[in-house]
Amino acid sequence: MKITTYAQNLHDLNLIKDQGITEVILAHKNFARFGKLSTEEFISLSSRAHEFSLRVLFEWDILMTETTFQEVIQELPDLIKHVDVLRVQDPGALHWAIHHTDRPLQFIAENGNHNARALKEWIAHAPGRMERIILSIELSKAVIEEYVQTLTVPCELLGFGRILLFYTPRSLLSPLAPEKLIQNEEILALGESEESPHKGFPILENRHGTFMFHIKEFCLVEFSTELRDMGLQYFRVDLRWDKMEHLKILKSSIDNYKTEIFDTFKDEYAQDLMRGFYLVNKTDVLFPKLKNHRLQKREGHYLGEVMDAEKGSHLAISLKKDLRKSDKLKILHPKGKEFEVEIFSLRNLSLEDVDIVEAGSVALIQYMNGVWVKSQVFLA
Amino acid sequence: MSEQFVPEVLAPAGGLDKLKVAVLYGASAVYVGGQKFGLRTAADNFTLDELTEGVCFAHAHGSKVYVVLNSFLHDKDLSELPEFVAHLEAIKVDAVIVSDLGVVQTVRDLSTIPIHVSTQASTLNVEAAKLWKKMGATRIVLGREVSIKEAGIIKRQAGVEVELFIHGSMCMAYSGNCVISNFTQGRDSNRGGCAHSCRFEYSLDMGLDTEEKKKAFFMSSKDLEGLRVLPEFIKEEIDSLKIEGRMKSHLYAGTMSKVYSEALKYYAQNGNFLSDDLVSWEAELSKVSHRSYTKASLVEKADATSIFNERENSNENEWQMLGTVVEANAKAGIVIEVRNAFNQGDLLEIVPFLGPAILINANEIVDLLMRPLTRTKPTTLVRLPYREGVLAQHLIRQKVH
Repeated sequence: MKITTYAQNLHDLNLIKDQGITEVILAHKNFARFGKLSTEEFISLSSRAHEFSLRVLFEWDILMTETTFQEVIQELPDLIKHVDVLRVQDPGALHWAIHHTDRPLQFIAENGNHNARALKEWIAHAPGRMERIILSIELSKAVIEEYVQTLTVPCELLGFGRILLFYTPRSLLSPLAPEKLIQNEEILALGESEESPHKGFPILENRHGTFMFHIKEFCLVEFSTELRDMGLQYFRVDLRWDKMEHLKILKSSIDNYKTEIFDTFKDEYAQDLMRGFYLVNKTDVLFPKLKNHRLQKREGHYLGEVMDAEKGSHLAISLKKDLRKSDKLKILHPKGKEFEVEIFSLRNLSLEDVDIVEAGSVALIQYMNGVWVKSQVFLA
Repeated sequence: MSEQFVPEVLAPAGGLDKLKVAVLYGASAVYVGGQKFGLRTAADNFTLDELTEGVCFAHAHGSKVYVVLNSFLHDKDLSELPEFVAHLEAIKVDAVIVSDLGVVQTVRDLSTIPIHVSTQASTLNVEAAKLWKKMGATRIVLGREVSIKEAGIIKRQAGVEVELFIHGSMCMAYSGNCVISNFTQGRDSNRGGCAHSCRFEYSLDMGLDTEEKKKAFFMSSKDLEGLRVLPEFIKEEIDSLKIEGRMKSHLYAGTMSKVYSEALKYYAQNGNFLSDDLVSWEAELSKVSHRSYTKASLVEKADATSIFNERENSNENEWQMLGTVVEANAKAGIVIEVRNAFNQGDLLEIVPFLGPAILINANEIVDLLMRPLTRTKPTTLVRLPYREGVLAQHLIRQKVH
């Protein structure tokens, strides 16, 4: 399992080289969400990376409307010749790169793409060119293992770094920031809400919009042996918001995990760490509770709903099917109690006694004690 | 003279009743969700029987039905999809709305149902549209960050139908790119569990010692409203104008369908809008509960004015829905299913499917048994004297503030 990581300057690059890492991700400020490198800096750093025999991965992960897309691709020909691989997230960038470059491609499938079928289709879309898929950190280990073993290209997973929660192109901090911050390339803030128990969400605004991160950082270093054994090929370390010097201890822990050493590192690390959904993803278990179960029983013999109930007089039922005087009904009270009813009085809304009331109309039958409005009615 | 291009008005329908309302009030298409695979877990949604009935009803009135399958499905969800797709094909839905490539391929394998790529996929540019078209999509629901002009370029250069939101609540994030609920509340926002954390008030510490923490609803977006730029949609030949809001009320579904379809019909007939008409349609839109309106990115990139820096529901709406006409004829009178109570003597507005509201003074209210009432109760049926022009399914509203 190889480590991949970012360099933002020559210092980072030296640390990466010293750790024996073989590739580096470079983020240009016009193409990458958190890129800081100007074209000149990018070319210079890329050149040094190549001197260090590092493979240079060009991160193009912004999402782009057509206007932005046309602006940024003007710069690409000058940059592409300095990189070995393109990493893209916007499907438009993927399509453009397939047709306008000859570089190998890596697809960032971190948003959605939680099924093998989708991932296989992305790979098939760039036959012979797709060299890596970057998987979502929302996947559990069982799913990661399956994908790593069945996909036809190597997989990469964030193993250490910030968790991006939110990405908008709108500038959300600058309207609130004092003048002296607005001039900066980036505006930073920590956010908390009384409606959430979590305090201190890092928020960043830059030229590409506004981003919010989790208060804890993502860490799978404890599981590095397991990930290696299951066949994961690339483990990404993102230290862009912390000290790049941590790379040394992270690299040694990933290569040869020792609990005591890493526990000490965790204790001293500036942020709390979490493993997210690595062990299990249960983010759909609450859904049944969000559903109104009463509303889910409208199949089969469902006749309609009680719209009006007058004690001693009538139940008015909106009908989805024809109702005949000979029909027998089952009525389900909103609180779950069931009633069986034999109709002996059937009237229409003009209060005429009838033998049938058609679907789409309202029928009045005799009142039944205990039945309320919103009770569901079924043909027995 | 060539025939005027008229876009489709695509309205939300959170349940069968709302589908009927939207169709009767003029929506040329509706989008609906089944019990699974959509993003509105808490909406009524449609049972299989209701989907069948809804498609029959819509088709009988010349409207189309699109079914959302726009969750980011996990493998186990995907395994449950084939049976549902087979049902959708059998009942002849007009398209499915999909955000995940695995779902696209599953639908393609199993059916000939046209595929619309959901806004959840955040398709923003020509190249992305070309890619989805190659994957089998017939229409792209573009991201809400795309301007009308860009949408026109995408349509022409990618050679695919495009759909753009014209009205409703907006995600502040690029759709499909927000996982706040997933990581803070254990609810997958991209499978229907969004907890609307973007609508919370946040205290922001910008790291300045002298600065107090700023309190702001900084991640909350105003609602989109594109009525005044309707001519731009027409000029760029945007195929479908989408109204957000499957969780919203019957009055919302009806009013939006009516206003936008009337405005489009007027433009098709006259080639322009009169300012008086625009004012009147805007007045109609304002009678439905909403946040402050913005054009967001429809014309220019959304700026600071698009942020809704207020607590949710801080402004009570001036208008309230009172109920729905269940039946109207000389014998039965106007039978109303009451949602919110009203009093004898109140002035009610009955919203017809076409044309201006019908004003009725509720001087004579009786219950189903013809006994006089001075005040109605919610969840009851009451009668008013019959009035020509009032039809079943008409919505009734009242000014309350």
